[in-house]
Amino acid sequence: MTWIEQAIDGLKRTDIEMVAYLPDTTISPLIEAAKDDDAFETVLVTREEAAVGVLSGAWLGGKRGALLCQSSGLANTFNALSSLSVPARIPFVGIVTRRGDLGEFNLAQVTSGYNMPELLDDANIRNHSIHEEENVGERVEMAATTAFSTETPYVLLMETTVTGYKEESK
Amino acid sequence: MTDDTERADQFACTETVLDVTPDVVAVSNLGVASYVLAGVEDRERNFYQWGSMGVTSPTGLGLALAVDDPVVVFEGDGSLLMSLGVLSTLGSVDPPNLTVVVWDNAIYGTTGGQPNYSSSTDFAGVAESCGVSATHVRSDEAFEKAYREATESDRAEFIVCDVEPVDPDSRPPFDFAHIKRRVRNALTEG
Repeated sequence: MTWIEQAIDGLKRTDIEMVAYLPDTTISPLIEAAKDDDAFETVLVTREEAAVGVLSGAWLGGKRGALLCQSSGLANTFNALSSLSVPARIPFVGIVTRRGDLGEFNLAQVTSGYNMPELLDDANIRNHSIHEEENVGERVEMAATTAFSTETPYVLLMETTVTGYKEESK
Repeated sequence: MTDDTERADQFACTETVLDVTPDVVAVSNLGVASYVLAGVEDRERNFYQWGSMGVTSPTGLGLALAVDDPVVVFEGDGSLLMSLGVLSTLGSVDPPNLTVVVWDNAIYGTTGGQPNYSSSTDFAGVAESCGVSATHVRSDEAFEKAYREATESDRAEFIVCDVEPVDPDSRPPFDFAHIKRRVRNALTEG
């Protein structure tokens, strides 16, 4: 299965019904797959921190969700994750395409993208990078399982070795 | 005719919401909106924010998508100014069980009363331009009428309510994880 199909399956296996998103080139096929699947209610946000609110509210009301976005967008969620998800102990699942490392052409993506694991660690937000396509389904399921069981945020970083990467000419 | 200098009482209007919709799930912005709500009634269905400025209305939106009960957001003018983009999402998603009330006291009330851009921002006009059904009120009576109409509406409703600044002593519980557990247990099997 492609990483897209595996990710969709992993979300379904953990009863995730809502997907909040803000597009990125490499994660767009996953967003489109979620939008085309009746199992998911999808919400386009205008800034990624709003997704932390939408998904936190949905969980309070009994629905599980996940955020799909890019690493620069995840940087926009830090106050919401740090002052809502972490202290209130509300689960959060982020599936995030990581910019700034292998194949990156744009220096503007490097600071938050390359350093995202350390930034997340510093904010007490657990995270895991996926480097191999065959691991995607299992690890989406495992990330969601621990996020909802421990009621804490968890971020999966999808590396360019899985998703491919945006080239300057495209 | 309303007098432009007239302002509603935030405590009275908060009480009106709880009287009109006793089962409402309330999401309150950090600071004064939460202090007032806790002072009127500390309920299981109150989700007070202790942080996450700018994320209050999105939280109410997510709740409204997950439950059938009415959901109200007690939003602050400063918090909304931080995240006006949420109005575009609200205008598109438009859940009929959601009412967003913006307490417009024209200041950052929780940090000492510094002025914000409220006086030069037409919040209801911005909301309407984003596709949100909106109204602007300046008295307790006009607020009650607008809120009752909002609960009957088949769209999400946005009520801007000019209020006198207040500095209440009341506080919500400080244990943030307790607040969320209480809300979730009241809305789900736990």
